[in-house]
Amino acid sequence: MPDIVQNPLSSLSEALIERARLAHPLVANIVAPGHRMRSGTLWRKDVVVASEQAFPDVAEAKVTLSDGSSFAARVAGRDPGTNVVALRVEGASDPAPIAAGEPHPGALALAFGADDGGVSVRLGVIHAVGPAWHSRAGGRIDRRITLDIALTGRDEGGPVLDAGGGLLGISTSGPRGRVLVIPRTTVEGVIEPLLSKGRVERGWLGLALQPVLVPEALQPEAGQPRGLMIMGVSQDGPAAQAHLLAGDILIAIGGENVRSPAMVAHRLGPESVGQQIELRLIRAGKLVTVNATVGIRQSG
Amino acid sequence: MSAPAATVPKRLRVCVSASDVPTRSRLAALVAESGHQLVEPCESADAVLTDGAANGILPGPTVALGAVDGEFAGLLPTEATAAQIDAALRAVAAGLTVRAPSRQHRSFGPLPEEASVLLTPREVEVLAALGNGLSNKTAARQLGISPHTVKFHIESLFRKLDATSRAEAVAKGLKRQIVEF
Repeated sequence: MPDIVQNPLSSLSEALIERARLAHPLVANIVAPGHRMRSGTLWRKDVVVASEQAFPDVAEAKVTLSDGSSFAARVAGRDPGTNVVALRVEGASDPAPIAAGEPHPGALALAFGADDGGVSVRLGVIHAVGPAWHSRAGGRIDRRITLDIALTGRDEGGPVLDAGGGLLGISTSGPRGRVLVIPRTTVEGVIEPLLSKGRVERGWLGLALQPVLVPEALQPEAGQPRGLMIMGVSQDGPAAQAHLLAGDILIAIGGENVRSPAMVAHRLGPESVGQQIELRLIRAGKLVTVNATVGIRQSG
Repeated sequence: MSAPAATVPKRLRVCVSASDVPTRSRLAALVAESGHQLVEPCESADAVLTDGAANGILPGPTVALGAVDGEFAGLLPTEATAAQIDAALRAVAAGLTVRAPSRQHRSFGPLPEEASVLLTPREVEVLAALGNGLSNKTAARQLGISPHTVKFHIESLFRKLDATSRAEAVAKGLKRQIVEF
């Protein structure tokens, strides 16, 4: 044993370099003709994932890995709901398996991106961890993980590792510049539909909803103080075919009460498509039940 | 970058920089269509129009069409019209920055949280009437209630939305996002 007191900062630095080495093989540099470079994550030997919102509207791109190898890639599918775009690559080899990370608030996290000819690394702490949430585009994200790391548009979509070298997911920019992680399980869940169908199908009713207070006299019958007032009905959509009207207040879907947009999104996941679903409404002061056939939401 | 011209002449001296001959001709035609004078070399121009693919740093304020983002004062999509190019060339010659609204929707984020203050269905209707610029009397007729009741709902809206005017109530009320499913 050398009789040297290890400098703690150097040890931390060494450890960070070690972690970064784990991530290097996962970092993909994606270039589409006429567009600037984007970051992505080599998910498995034939799939690269990236941030959908940051990804240009192209069908093909070139993927370069950090070892300099480069592959032709085809955009297989996009999901604005979870902000994942999947690209098919041919000829790459499987990246070394990487453990699943576990997010803890305050823990260190490393966000990686592609840099011209290399890998960029950013260090910060996990700012907050919360339960599953729904995006405006209807996607369910398994956990709410925010980082106190600043990213540029080209870093977005790269892998995020925890201090133990476990993969947390891929980075993405959220509202007000906040950086979010799309968890590994969420990415995993959309890859198959993206590869086979090019999209993730979610339920659609063709309704514009606004949360409202249920009039007091109707609260006992509605069983809840809140509902969602129908502000608009898409022409020929499932709701229109079920004769829903602007002004109706939606209080339950499929027997489950809905009080917030998130609860509606929860009832309209991929499994709801094509299903007959019972909608409970307050119409002109009375409780009404109608059946609708759930359609497919157009992405966006 | 050169200092912006003190005054921008009506007819600009525009130089074209492109990666290939067909693009160069297309850009030159656009310059002519915008009513500007095509000049060479670029050092003597008021503004430069490029496809953004040419290498090297361009002298003077530059408008790039369909380019990857770079250090250009003006960035327009490939399909920009002659009128847009004309406006952009004038703007960059005057020292301004020009960007077309991005088609890329960078809107990934959560559904709105459960609001702490909720409006009643009637208040939503009254707010919509205010948004349409209706008077209390007209709103009352449209909703089939008395003007007095409309006034009552407006007072409640002001309280809930912490607004002191009809315009403020409408603006704050509209911010409560309507969500589509």
